[in-house]
Formats: sequence, C-alpha cells, structure tokens
Amino acid sequence: MKAKKLSLVSSLLIALAAVLVGLSLFFPWWQMVFFAPQYPEGLNIIVYPNKLEGEIDIVNGLNHYIGMENFSEENFPELAYLPYLVIGLAVITLLTAILRKKAVLYGLIGLFIIGGALGVWDLTRALRKFGTNLSPTAPIKIDPFVPPLLGHNTVANFVTESILGYGSYFLIAAFILLLIPVWKDRRR
Amino acid sequence: MKKWIPIASGLLAGFVAATISFADFSKSTNDQVASSNTKSDAEKVYVPFGEKDDYYLFASGGHSGQMFIYGVPSMRHIRTVPVFSPDSATGYGFDEHSKKLLGDYTWGDLHHPAFSETNGDYDGKYMFATDVGNSRAAAMDLETFTVKDIINVPNTSGPHCAAFVTQNTEYMFLPTRFAVPIGSEYKSLDDYSEQYRGVMSAVTFDQNKDKLNIAYQVALPPWSYDLSDAGKKSSADWAVMTTYNTEEATTNLEINASQADRDFIVLFNWKELEKMVADGQYDEVTGQKMIFPEKHKGGIYLVPVAKSPHGVDVTPDGKHFIASGKLAPSMTVFSFEKAFKAIEKQDFAGERNGIPIINYDSIMEREVNPENALGPLHTQFDDKGMAYTTMFISSEIVKWDPKTGETLDRVPVQYSPGHSVAAEGDTVSPDGKWLIALNKIAKDSYLSVGPSHPESMQLIDISGKMKVIQSSPVNPEPHYAQIIKADKIKTIEVYPKDENNKLATYKQDQARIERNGNEVHVYGIAMRSKFIFDAKAKRPDVIEVNQGDKVFLHLTNTDFDEDITHGFAINQYNLNMEVQPGQTNTIEFTADKAGTFPMYCTNFCSALHQEMTGYFLVKPKN
Repeated sequence: MKAKKLSLVSSLLIALAAVLVGLSLFFPWWQMVFFAPQYPEGLNIIVYPNKLEGEIDIVNGLNHYIGMENFSEENFPELAYLPYLVIGLAVITLLTAILRKKAVLYGLIGLFIIGGALGVWDLTRALRKFGTNLSPTAPIKIDPFVPPLLGHNTVANFVTESILGYGSYFLIAAFILLLIPVWKDRRR
Repeated sequence: MKKWIPIASGLLAGFVAATISFADFSKSTNDQVASSNTKSDAEKVYVPFGEKDDYYLFASGGHSGQMFIYGVPSMRHIRTVPVFSPDSATGYGFDEHSKKLLGDYTWGDLHHPAFSETNGDYDGKYMFATDVGNSRAAAMDLETFTVKDIINVPNTSGPHCAAFVTQNTEYMFLPTRFAVPIGSEYKSLDDYSEQYRGVMSAVTFDQNKDKLNIAYQVALPPWSYDLSDAGKKSSADWAVMTTYNTEEATTNLEINASQADRDFIVLFNWKELEKMVADGQYDEVTGQKMIFPEKHKGGIYLVPVAKSPHGVDVTPDGKHFIASGKLAPSMTVFSFEKAFKAIEKQDFAGERNGIPIINYDSIMEREVNPENALGPLHTQFDDKGMAYTTMFISSEIVKWDPKTGETLDRVPVQYSPGHSVAAEGDTVSPDGKWLIALNKIAKDSYLSVGPSHPESMQLIDISGKMKVIQSSPVNPEPHYAQIIKADKIKTIEVYPKDENNKLATYKQDQARIERNGNEVHVYGIAMRSKFIFDAKAKRPDVIEVNQGDKVFLHLTNTDFDEDITHGFAINQYNLNMEVQPGQTNTIEFTADKAGTFPMYCTNFCSALHQEMTGYFLVKPKN
C-alpha cells in the first residue's frame, strides 16, 4: 500500500500546532496560588518553561517556618533546558507539517505523549520532593504532604490552588490539532 | 464539513478551560450604596469593613509636633505621623535620617498643614507643615507618609502665619507670629519699632532631591502675622496675610495689641519679589537675601481691615479675599481686581513703615455681619463658592454667600471652633459634601479622662442643611487641617530594591560586620523571624564590640511584603528604630556601656516575632 501524503488542511493544522507549541514558551505553564487569612489576594508561584515568577520570596519566607526548601530557579535545572526542548518540539512539528507523512505524524504524537508524561512526572516529583523533604529542625512541625498537580490542598493556614497556565492549554490544543489529521486522513 | 466539528470542539474545550481558570467572574457586590438623602446619620459615617473612606483628613497636631491622619466620613484615626517631635513607635528621631532632621529639638508646634498644589488643586504628592515652636518647616512625602526634609528658618521666629503654597507649589511662605531682631540678636524692647522685624521666609522645595531651601526673606514691620492664603487663577501671583499688633506693643498684648480700630492685610506679589531678588534688590543679612520694603520698594501693599483679624481666605475663583474679624464681628470681602486697579492708579491713603496703604473704600466689596455671630476666625468654601466661617465666640459655623453677603445657614458646634476644613475647601475646586469643625473645647462631649480634655472634631454634612453628624476626639491640638480626595494619594506598600544603595544588604550571605579602627559597620538583615548581622559567624544574630566603639548599624528589611515592618531595639541602650518592608535604615551610636544587652524586634512581625532576638555584647575596656 502506497502511503499518500497527508492533506493540505492537515498539514496546515500541524503547522498551527507548531505555532502553538512555540507560543507556549511565552506563557506560564503551571501556577500555584496560596491563600491565607492575611493573604486573601493570594501569593503566586508561576512556572514558565524558562523561569519562575510570582511572590516566590514571600512564599519561601513563609515556607521556612515548616522547613520547606526554597523554591528557586537553581532548584529547577529543567528551566535551563526546557525552552530548547520546546523549540525542538516546535521545529519537529513544523517539519512534520512540511513532510506530510503519516508515519512521522505518529512519531510526533508519540513524542508529545512521552513529553507530556515526563512533564507530569517531573512536576509531581518536584511537588513530592518539596512537600515531603521538610527540615527536621523547622519551628512548626507538620506531616509531610504532596500538593496535587491540579486543584485544592490545605496546609496549616494556607489553602493552595494549582492550575494550568495558558502555555499548557496551548500545548493541549496543539496535541488536539495533531490528532485531527489522524482521523481526517484515515482513508488516505 | 462535519470534519471541522472535532477541531472546533477541541479548541473550544481548551479555551473554555482556560477561561474558567483565568477569567474573573467575581461581581462587585456593592449593595451598600443608597442615595445620601435616604441615609441616616449613622449610615452616612459608617464605612463597612473592606471599604475605605472617601477622603483623608490631615489634621495638624499642634504642640504634639505630629500630624494626625483620619478617614472621612468615618472619622477613624488611621495614623499619627511624627514631624517635629521624636516618636519611639516609628523610631523617628532615633534612626540617622530623622535624627539629623530633628537636630537637638525634642518638640515642635505643628500649626498649619498645606498640600502641594498643581494649578491650584491638591496634587497629593507632598504635605508641608510649619513649626511655630522652633521655627522650622517640614516636607512629608505622601508615597510613604514620612518626613523627607526639615529646614530651620532663621530670622522668622514662630511661623504661625504659614504654611501656604502658591498654586503650582513654587513657594511655601512662612510669615511669622513673633517679631524679633534680625538674627534673633539681643536688642532692648524699648527699641522694638526700630530694631525688631516680622520676617517672612519664601521657601522652595526641590521635589527631585526632597530638599527645602530658603529662596529669600522679607523684613516686614514688627507686627504679628496671623494667617494667610495664596491667590488663585487671576490672582495666582499674589498672596494675602493678616496682621495684628500693628500697635507695635511690647507687653500685655491682650490689651495693648487690641487698641487700634484697624489693622492690616498685607497684599504682596511674589512674582515681583522674585524678580526684585533676581535683580539684586535685596541686602544680604545673616546669609539670607533680605528684602527691606522701605528700601527695596514694590510688590508689597497694605489693606486696612477691621481690628485684629484672624483668617484671610481667597475664594475658589481667585477673585476675592475674605478677612475674618476675630475682634470685630464681621467678615470683610475685598476684590483682587479692584486692588490691582488701585495699585495701578496709586490710589493710596499714605504709607506705613514705608509700605503704601491702599484706600479701603476703593477695594472693599462688602462687610458681612451675621446677627450675633461673634469671633469669626476662618473661612472655607464649598463646590458652589459658598463660604463657611467658624465663629469662635458664638461657637457655630455660619454659611453665607460671598457675592451677596446673605446668611444662608448656621449650625452650633461644641465648642469654640478655631479653624474648620471643608473637602478640598481651599482649592480652586472645593468638593462640598463635608466640613469638619476643629473645636478647641470638648467639654461635655466624651467620657472623662480627667481634667485635661482631648480636642474635638465634628463632622458636618453640608450637602443640604448643615448638620453635625459625627464627633471624634483628637489629641492636642488640631489648628488647621486639610481634606484631600483619597484617590489623589498614591502610596507605596514596599520600598523598592535599590541596588545602588551601598548601605543595603539584600542577600543573606552578604550580611557582614566590618571593623575599621574603633568603628564597627554592621550590614545586617531583618527578616521573618530573625536578624542576620554576620552570615559567616557562629551566631549570625550577635554583634560583639569593644567598649567605646562607634557602631553604625545598617539594617535592611528583606521582607518585601505588605505590612511586614520590623523594629530594632537594644535593651538599656535607649535605642529603637523601625525598618519598613524593603527599607534600609541606619542607627549610629557609641557603645559606651560595657555588658550584655539583648536586641529584639519591636514591631510585631510574625508568629516567631518573640524569637526574633540577638545579643549585643560590649567587651569592657582595660
């Protein structure tokens, strides 16, 4: 069976996916908001592919009471190389759009799945590391905990809410855009 | 085209999720607003938690040397800002900057506050104040509500007749209540008329450098200058001030300064004085550029007025000035336009102390004499240009129309109002709505605290018929006050990092103690909930010096978080200062007492504030 090329529409969709992947670099991927009685406005940890933003110093200042390690860009070596991986992924996606080969597309989808799974695993690992590796000399002793990847959690006087950022939605949208050609060109 | 459905739905799903996560669906639930006509008095002054007052009230603190900040209409006391007196609560007068500002003075008498202005309207940037007690002027920054500069004003002794700023804050003028010889030299009171002068100072403020400076002075006759106001709009280049004791009495002023039927309003053109100084028409005395009116002619005129007037206030349109009689039971309305014409035509009725006297009848518009209203002191204005004058003796506020002289309304206050203040009531565009009577006598008003009473501030709703709707006790002693729309003031919550500040230490590992001979320089950090003075030491929160060492402690609060202020005190060393979020503050002292002295954070900062301590060890000599 001679594999025909993917349709032009599919190619454009994949190209759009490449753009979305590239765009995601400039938006936060994940965010945790801390609420407490005296912080009704919330304190943020905002994770970009290449940096941390938000009231990191204040969160760190408060976390030291329960013996948590500081959040800092040095503690996340991923931030140094993640942008290159994202750019690479965008380039591969763009190549897939140009090559218009189903096999390559399958490979790309596989890459997305593996990358996504790794990302989720890495974040979970980080959350576990910070939540369970509490200093034994901390002034306030609390049980180790693992904040959820998404949703609410309560620690002492803080309620945290973890949410996805625009960047993650762009990646999810890109992934959906990649799936469409598979279905659309299923007879080719 | 069904193929597009999954694309659309996929994208839609993504963006719906994003919207849910990020969009702000919270509605403002402001159901407290009702028309002010339907509100009870209690509702008018009730500001529910979570909402804020519409106005700031800056009330002078008189001989406390402080400024009191209140919210209007709630009349809640929000803050006391020390200006001319030390304040251990904020470390004012203890840390190096404020210690230098105060010098050796331990008290002040803060009289008349004045906001900086742009085009005759408050701009919310600075607040100026003068000290009658020790002849100083101060500038407060309204980003931080802290005093940036204080200047000692020589020759002017007791600037009661101040401060008033010109319409674009070009000058703040400080006329004086007490006449003294130039340089406050010793001179016999028998030579009062010849040797004494009521020197007025023209002070400028450099907003870039936060620096007050004396531009020039005017050696006015040895009279007492009481209150003043700057012109507005068409009269912007002019200013007016009242005088008493033109009798030049030197004793028992109560009687001797109240003999002449007429005293004067001094009318002067500050643009002209400025030009005279630029042209060298002045004498250099005590290091100041001094204009002597009898010698350097021009720019200054006298307007006769009913005896011993207190306030003189320029109407919002800038066309009239109104003198309040105090000892004469009337307000006199004068026309600026007519005054300018009289000056042009040299329509003078002689001279006094070398200064031309303008013909009273040529510029007086009307004398207003509400029935039995006694002791008119000071006038404010509302949005329609109506005047509100405090009656000290008959204890009331009288509302009247400056254009017709008609009395419109009266309300009794408890008791003896000196000044009153209306919402932006001395600007080119008063807001109306609120007037506060600053009463000198509070008897019968509050729970007794013994023979010494607080003063009272009564809030009056002036949107319809005047009505006193709230009364608030206040520490001694508001003279004048100013009310500014809250949204004009833009404060900061945290001092920004200043990488150029060599005294600041932002990184914990850079906290250090440097010794240079017998000088010990500490670059320390205060943070929730510890001090770090020497990051590398076995005990980073300990400072050890030798007896007699000079200690320079530069402390940076690295909690860049709203309302996390740290204090720093050394037990038994009579030292305490405040370090606001992000701020670096310095305290200098000599370790003259040997021994062991705990140090601690005085401003509650966190659950472990109590643990925020260290030791100051002073090794004895020998």
